[in-house]
Amino acid sequence: MSLVDILGNALGLGPLGPLEDLLLSFVGAAFVGTFILLNTAVAGPWAKRKITAAFTDRVAVNRVGPFGLLIIIADAVRMLSKELIIPDGVDRPAFDLAPLVLVASALLGFAVIPMGNGIQLADPEVGLAFLFAVASIASVSLVMAGYASNNKYSMLGGLRAVAQNVAYEIPLVITAMSVVLFAGTLQTSGIVSAQAAPLVTIAGVSIPSWYAFVNPFAFVLFIAANMAEVGRNPFDVPEAPTEIVAGYQTEYSSVYFVLMYLGEFIHIFLGGAILATVFLGGPAGPVLPGIVWFTIKIWAFFLFTQWARSALPRVRIDQLIEIGWKGLLELSFVNLILTAVIVGVIV
Amino acid sequence: MIGLLKGMATTMKHALDGSTFTVEYPDDPPEVSPRFRGVHKFSQERCIWCRQCENVCPNDTIQIVMDEQRNGEQYNLHIGQCVYCRLCEEVCPVDAILLTQNFEFTADTKDEFAYNKEQLKNVPWYKDIDPLASREPDRGAWIGEGEGEVDYQ
Amino acid sequence: MSLEAPEPSTHADVGVTEEGLDYDALESLLGDAVIGRETHVNAEAFVVRPDRVANALSVLKEEAGFDHCSCVTAQQYEDRYESIYHLKKYDDPTQEVGVVVPTSVSKPASQSGESVYRTADWHEREAYDLVGIDYDDHPDLRRILLPETWQGHPLGLNYDQEQHQVVPLTEHANPLQEDHQEGADTMFLNVGPHHPATHGVLHLKTTLDGEQVADVESDIGYLHRCEEQICQQGTYRHQIMPYPDRWDYISAGLLNEWAYARAAEDLADLDVPEYAQIIRTMSAELCRIASHLLAVGTFAIDVYGDFSAIFMYAFRDREVVQNILEDLTGQRMMFNYFRLGGVAWDLPEPREEFFEKTRDFLDELPTRLEEYHNLISSNEVLQLRCVDTGIIEPEVAKDYGCTGPVARGSGVDYDLRRDDPYGYYDQLDWDVITEGGCDNYSRVLVRLREVEESAKIIEQCINLLEEWPEDEREIQSNVPRTLKPDADTEIYRAVEGAKGELGIYIRSDGTDTPARFKIRSPCFSNLQALPEMAQGEYVPDLVAALGSLDIVLGEVDR
Repeated sequence: MSLVDILGNALGLGPLGPLEDLLLSFVGAAFVGTFILLNTAVAGPWAKRKITAAFTDRVAVNRVGPFGLLIIIADAVRMLSKELIIPDGVDRPAFDLAPLVLVASALLGFAVIPMGNGIQLADPEVGLAFLFAVASIASVSLVMAGYASNNKYSMLGGLRAVAQNVAYEIPLVITAMSVVLFAGTLQTSGIVSAQAAPLVTIAGVSIPSWYAFVNPFAFVLFIAANMAEVGRNPFDVPEAPTEIVAGYQTEYSSVYFVLMYLGEFIHIFLGGAILATVFLGGPAGPVLPGIVWFTIKIWAFFLFTQWARSALPRVRIDQLIEIGWKGLLELSFVNLILTAVIVGVIV
Repeated sequence: MIGLLKGMATTMKHALDGSTFTVEYPDDPPEVSPRFRGVHKFSQERCIWCRQCENVCPNDTIQIVMDEQRNGEQYNLHIGQCVYCRLCEEVCPVDAILLTQNFEFTADTKDEFAYNKEQLKNVPWYKDIDPLASREPDRGAWIGEGEGEVDYQ
Repeated sequence: MSLEAPEPSTHADVGVTEEGLDYDALESLLGDAVIGRETHVNAEAFVVRPDRVANALSVLKEEAGFDHCSCVTAQQYEDRYESIYHLKKYDDPTQEVGVVVPTSVSKPASQSGESVYRTADWHEREAYDLVGIDYDDHPDLRRILLPETWQGHPLGLNYDQEQHQVVPLTEHANPLQEDHQEGADTMFLNVGPHHPATHGVLHLKTTLDGEQVADVESDIGYLHRCEEQICQQGTYRHQIMPYPDRWDYISAGLLNEWAYARAAEDLADLDVPEYAQIIRTMSAELCRIASHLLAVGTFAIDVYGDFSAIFMYAFRDREVVQNILEDLTGQRMMFNYFRLGGVAWDLPEPREEFFEKTRDFLDELPTRLEEYHNLISSNEVLQLRCVDTGIIEPEVAKDYGCTGPVARGSGVDYDLRRDDPYGYYDQLDWDVITEGGCDNYSRVLVRLREVEESAKIIEQCINLLEEWPEDEREIQSNVPRTLKPDADTEIYRAVEGAKGELGIYIRSDGTDTPARFKIRSPCFSNLQALPEMAQGEYVPDLVAALGSLDIVLGEVDR
C-alpha cells in the first residue's frame, strides 16, 4: 500500500480517480519533503554544531532556547536576510539554477525510499536504478555551480566534484548490484522485504538477514563509496575549504548559499537512506515504529560522516581518483562476481 | 586502516567522556591570575607628576599636561593604543598608576578609549583584586634602579 | 644554485684552529678583495670591495665552510651605505664571520651574493626596499615588503617621513581583467591574501598546470609594521622589550624576547643571574610547546579540513600552557617578561602551586601526545598525503638558510640551544630532534617530538628552581637605569626561536637607542624555500607544505 492509498483511506475516499490520485500525490510529496527538510533543518544549524563540539570538547550553541535549539530559527533568519551577492560575469541561468537542481535531485531520491509505516511515495519496479540516477544529477548541478561562478576556485571545485562523482558512482552502483542479486529485484520495497527473513537465531534473538550482515564486505565498500558520493571526509575534496575555499559554493551567498548547504545535507541523508534501504533492512527494527527506525538509521549515517570528519584527513584529488578507479572499482567487481557465483550456487 | 581507526577511536573517546573546555564567558567570568595586566587605574592623590610613566611608555600612550608651576592638569591615557607592557606601573615610584585585572572595556569609537584622569580613576577593580597586593612581594626586586640617576622632575 | 651534494671534503676548512677561528688565515684567503677589517662583538668582519662580493662569499663558503648565510643587514651611515653578510656554519654556528660591503652614498651599488647563497635573494630585496642599496646582477631586485609604488627607502637617512605615499589602484593590475592567454595551458591563481590556509595575510601567486603547481611566488609585506624602526626609536633598557612579543605573536613571545635580551646583554656586557637564566629557560620552553602545538593544530586544519578535532585539542593544551604563562608573566601572549639582566618577576607565590600546576601539565603531556600521534602521525591517510610531498633536500635547505624544525625535518642537525649555548640549556639533559624525511610529514613529526624534549627541559628546570636556596633567588642583575653602549659597537646574536634561528643585529651610536636594529626572522628565510617544496606538487600539497613551514606573517613581514 502506497502513501497515496493511505492518505486516501484516511480521508475516507473510495477508489481514487486520476485527479484525486495526483492531488494526493502532491500532499504526500509535501509530507515527505517536509519530513526530510525538518531533519535537515535540525542537522544543519544545530546538530552538526553539537556533534562537532562533542568531538572537540566544546559546548556549542546553548544560549538560544532549550539546548540552543532556537538557533535553527535564528540562523534561518540570519541567512535569509543577508544580501544576495551576484558577482560580475557569472553565467546567470546556470548560476541560479544550480542550487535548485542540487536540492531537487536530492529530494527526488526520497520518492522511492520506503520510510516505514507505509510511507513511500512511489514504488516503481526500477526503484534502485531511479534512486542512483536522480542522486547523480547532483554532479550536474555542482559543475553548473562551479563553471557558472566565474571563479577559479569554484571551477576547480566543480571539476573535482565531477571527477569524484564519476569515479565513485560506478563502484557504488556495482556494489548495490550485488544486493540486487541477493534480493532478485530492483524494487526498493522488495529489497527491504527480502531483508526481513531471519538470518540466524541466537539465544532466542533472531538476527534479520540485513545485507550488512549477509555481506559485510559489500557494506564496507558501499559506505566508502557513499562517503565519497556525498563528499565528506576523507573525500571532501570538492569543497576543501583550506585548499580551494569551499570550491563550487565559493560565490554563493544568502538564499543560494542556504540552498547549497541544504542540498548537501539532504544528500547526506539520502546517502543514509540508500544505505538503510539496501543494507540495513530499511525501516525495520524492533519495538519502535518503522519511521522512527528509519530516522535513526539516516541519522546514524549522518553521525558517522561527522565522526569521520573529526578524525580523518582528506585525501588528495589524484589519490582520490586513484582509490576510486584502482581500488574500489576492482573490489566492487570482485564482490559482484563472488556474490553472483555464491547466489548462483546456493539458489 | 589501524591508524584510521585509532584516530576515530580517539575523537569518539573525547565525545563520550563528556568533559568540555569551554568557558561560558559572560555568565562565567574567567579567573585571571593576580599578575594579569588589564586597564589602568590612576590615582591623582598619589601622583607626584614626575612624568616617568610618560617617558618610559614605548608608544606614547600616556600624555601629561602641566601648568607653568609644574602642577599636573591632565593625565590622559589611550587604552586602545596601549600595549599593556606595564612599564608605567613599573617605573612609578608612588604606585599612582596601576594595571588592574579588568579586561572588559568597550567603546563605539576609537577616541572614546582616550581616557582622562577621571575615567582612569573610575576604572573598577576586576573581582575586587587589588593588583598592588598581589604584586607587592617582589616589587623591590624588579624595580631594579641601578646606578643611573633618578630625576623625579 | 648548488643543488648537487658537495664533494666530501678532503681538507679541513680554512681558518679552523684549536683556539677558534683564525681570522688572519681567512683574510689571506680572501686576498685583495679585503680592504679592511672590523671587529664586531660576535665576530671579526672583513670589509670587502663592492665588486668582489660574490667572489669573497663563495671563497668563504667553499674553502672556509661558511655554509649558512644567516642574515644580510643593510644600513646607511652619513658617508656610506653598508651591507653586512652574517655568515655561520651549520656544523658549528659559533664560528662566525661578517662580510661588510661599503658602497658610496651617491651610487649605492654592490655585487649580489645571491649566486652564492640563495637566501640572499630575499634579504637583498629587503635591503633594497628599506635602505635603498642596489645589488648588481641580482636576478629579481624588486621591493619585497612595501608596495611596488612606494616612493623612497624608509630606512635611508634622508627619507622624508612626512612624504605622502600614494598607492593608487590603477597602478596595480585590475583584478577583474582578462588574464586568459591564447595557447597557454597554465592557469594563474591567487592564493591569498585572504585564503583560509595562508595563516595570515600571505599572497601566493600560483601558476597551475591542471592542479599541479608549476610555479609559486610569495608576495609578502601585508603585515609590515616597521618593527625594526620601532625598535630603533625605543630605549634599550625598557622600551624595546614589549615589541619582540609582537613579531612571532603565536605564543612564542618569550623566545623572541630572549633574542633581543641576548643581543643587548652581550652588547652592553650585562650579566644574568643563574636563577634568572633557569626561569628564562623554563618559560621559553613553555612558549615553544605552545607554539609547536599551534603549529600542529593549524597544520591539521590545512590537511584535515576545518572540522578537525586536532586543532581544538591543540588549542586546549595550548590553553593550559598559556594559563601557566599568565601566572608567571601576567599576560597570555604579549608577555614583556624578560628584562635586560634578568626577568621581571620571580615565580608567583605560592610557588608550590605554580610547580604543581606545571607538573600537572607535564604529567598530562605524554597522554596528550599519544593522542596527537594517534590522530596524526599514525594515520595512514595522512601518511599518504604528507610522506614524500613538499620535499626539501638538506643542501637546498641550507642554501635557503632554513633553520628550526624545517631544517631539522630535512636532517640538518642545527639547533642553537645546543650549538651556540645560551641560558641554562648546556647544563640540562635533552636532545636535538632531527628527521631525515625532508617532507611535510617529517617537519610535523619534528615538532611533535620537540614538544617532548621541551617538556624534559621544563621538568629539569622546575626541579632546579624548587631546590634553589631562598636567599639566592636573584632575578635581575644591577643594570643601569639608562643604557648607553659604546658608540659603533655592532653585534649579531641569535637564539633558537620556535620557528628557527631568530637573530638580532644591533649597532649602537652611543645614545640610549640603537642606530640600527635588524631582525633576522626564521620564517622569512623558511618561507623563501616554499617554491622548492611546492613546485610540481598538487595544490593540496602546496597548502600542506605551507602549513608544515609554520610561518607567522607577523615575523615574516615584521
